[in-house]
Amino acid sequence: MLTYILVEHPFFAATSALYAASVGLYAYAWRSTRTLVGQLATAMMCAALAANLSLVVGRWIEADRAPFKSLFESLVFLSFTMGAVYLVMERLYRTRVFGALAAVGSFGALLFAVTKWDAEIVKLPPALQSGWFIPHVVVYFVGYGALFFATAVAVLQLLASRTPFFQRLLQLKAGTVLSGKALDLEQVTYDAVKFGFVLLTVGLLVGSVWAKSAWGDFWVWDPKENWSLVTWLVYGAYLHLRRVKGWRGNKAAWLAIAGFGVVMFTYLGMEMLPTAKESAHVYTGQ
Amino acid sequence: MNSSSVSAAVPPRAAAAPAVPSAASREVVLIALLVVGVVLAGSAMQLFVEPGPVALVASAAIAGAAVFALGYLIPGRLRQTLAGFRFVSTLLFALAVAAILGTLVLQGKSSEMYRARYGAIGDVIVALRLDDIFHSVWFGGLLALFLAAVLNSAILRWPVKARNAGFFTCHAGLLLSLAGAALSTTMSVKGRVDLHAGGEHANAVAVTRGGSFTGQALPLGFDLRLDRFDVVRYDAEYRIAYYEQARRVVDGRAQESWTLKASFDPELAKHRLPGGDSFKVKAFYPDLVVRPRPAAAGQPGTPALQVFVAGQEQWVFAGTRIDAADGLVTVAFDRALPSVPDAKAAVLVSLSDHKVVVRGMDGEATHDLADGLALAGNLIRIGKVMEDATRLPEYATASKELRNPAVLLEVAEDGRGREALLVAREGGGFRLGRGGAIAFEHREDEVKAFRSDVTVSDGSVVKKAVITVNDPLSFGSWTFYQANYDPRDPTYSGLEAVKDPGVPWVFLGFALISIGVFYMFYVESRLKRQKA
Repeated sequence: MLTYILVEHPFFAATSALYAASVGLYAYAWRSTRTLVGQLATAMMCAALAANLSLVVGRWIEADRAPFKSLFESLVFLSFTMGAVYLVMERLYRTRVFGALAAVGSFGALLFAVTKWDAEIVKLPPALQSGWFIPHVVVYFVGYGALFFATAVAVLQLLASRTPFFQRLLQLKAGTVLSGKALDLEQVTYDAVKFGFVLLTVGLLVGSVWAKSAWGDFWVWDPKENWSLVTWLVYGAYLHLRRVKGWRGNKAAWLAIAGFGVVMFTYLGMEMLPTAKESAHVYTGQ
Repeated sequence: MNSSSVSAAVPPRAAAAPAVPSAASREVVLIALLVVGVVLAGSAMQLFVEPGPVALVASAAIAGAAVFALGYLIPGRLRQTLAGFRFVSTLLFALAVAAILGTLVLQGKSSEMYRARYGAIGDVIVALRLDDIFHSVWFGGLLALFLAAVLNSAILRWPVKARNAGFFTCHAGLLLSLAGAALSTTMSVKGRVDLHAGGEHANAVAVTRGGSFTGQALPLGFDLRLDRFDVVRYDAEYRIAYYEQARRVVDGRAQESWTLKASFDPELAKHRLPGGDSFKVKAFYPDLVVRPRPAAAGQPGTPALQVFVAGQEQWVFAGTRIDAADGLVTVAFDRALPSVPDAKAAVLVSLSDHKVVVRGMDGEATHDLADGLALAGNLIRIGKVMEDATRLPEYATASKELRNPAVLLEVAEDGRGREALLVAREGGGFRLGRGGAIAFEHREDEVKAFRSDVTVSDGSVVKKAVITVNDPLSFGSWTFYQANYDPRDPTYSGLEAVKDPGVPWVFLGFALISIGVFYMFYVESRLKRQKA
């Protein structure tokens, strides 16, 4: 399979390699005292994202439709949104501390895509030929990217509270923490969850409007709909619980991680449900 | 510090005053009582009240009003709890659990199905009415608590200011959506209009509930006519497919099956297969024709005659014939003069006589066999003769239309190459040494769109419209969706008719939720920072 991908899909292989290099450079930036290493890591991530975007665009042209139909296609797009959201956050918080984890996410999504490789491009059925299709998927996947970032930060928060190595990471200045200020990991997680929650809200509502135009019902209690609602409810609970005394710190971090677990199940786990056959949402090409 | 000093410093437990529960733990207990109480009460009520849209909405509205009133009338801990973040969070988790349960247990099926599928647990599912969670009284109870929580927290934050407008917008949106959903659940009407293209019309809807016909018919108030129905398909596609054999477990039994692993366009290119072998597409023939081509036999063989029909080279072997000009002229060749009594016009070539007889409506003409002899107004030109030839197949395409597509492949397996012609309509394919298989296949002409051309008229207004999936038609108070078709009856189109007064409120609520959440997170916090 590896040779097949290298020969037949060299751009996919190159994108994966760029993400892998980003992981290495961001991880090296944790230890390095030179700014250049961090800058190289960011440049590598930008290159990986550009390559990833061209994968998406190339597939769009080849398939003559938005490449969000199969699980493989969505994983390639998820890889991009996770990386893109990270780069915005890197710029916003002026830190490269989370870079390695973010690049692992994008690289991991592409690796997983290899196991879900599309044998061929499938055509869009009539139900997916809607003006709502692209905004629905894009909004959700950018939201997933933000929630992945929140989870990565929450993981780092938990690790930092237990391991001196990760504690030290947050204090590095050269090439990693560019602002010179100590990072408030919980606030970063909260900000990312807020952003993700806004997008989950819009995605859920856009999906509902689309369902109405396609099936005549804005809500049919379809398993995927239900789990999207569960995701929204769990993050809603996170946002409310954060205002309750005693629910900040590690508890909030664990809840953010659990929330992303629900996101992943909503995305990938539908086939495991006994009601999966009833769903109009289960990905093809799995 | 030794143990004796510890016991001296810390008073013994028995002597301590009874621990007073904190406000937080009292709140937790109250929340647990409220949530569990509502679920149990709702479950018990279901013994007397059949779950359904009305039961759901009534239980949510009545219990919501009651809890809100209690919270409003009894100031203090209950109101504080109902308006608190802890209570809302707990409710959100409880609603999430209910939603998850609805994906673990099939909803809205018959009692027999649950018994057959789940055994003894099936009876429990039916008894607890977990077969219709989202119309159950206990689910309505949870929604009631949610409504009460939203209203109480709104009262606590009243009045509306720029710094809390997001909260009010978002939560007003939630209430509006739920109210709209309640209206939809109780007041919406669904039904079917089944029509045949060519002018069949209807002025009533066959009402359905849960997808089944109720036997009731509701007047539309106008006339709906199906003028035309089309199933639009994607263009035909042919692919070179690579399969691998895989073991799958189907219904508990292991089965070997072929799984498509990759496919390729039939374009001239070299490809690597996932299994490690490779192949090259040497030629693609959209409309394959196999013509015999002579090669020097090197020993006594069959004579062959070269003929150019409209400039196209063809070979006719002794004892055979070809048709030219769409079958109007037959060219036959043999050692002796051939006979073709069924042909209206024929060119008969005899090798032993070295003669060419042209027979037509106007009679016969005889010519000497010669290279370059032009006949039938230059439509046919005689070429050279090969005395001892052997037949080789020559592949060509008769046209650019996809009438008989085929590919000629050169497959390399472990360094060894072989050539194979795969014809799609023959299901052409072959196995590879490493266990995979290559085939040239026609992909099903998948449906691209279902399209109903309709005319609606209510006496004063006549409107022509096209209904497709994702593009319904709204007329009067009804909306028509493309819902069904019958592959055996290309004229049939099934339209779903929906009248749902709750939809505008639901969508308005959705918009308010989105705006409110955004405002809350990104505007309110800024305003608060500015004030600070």
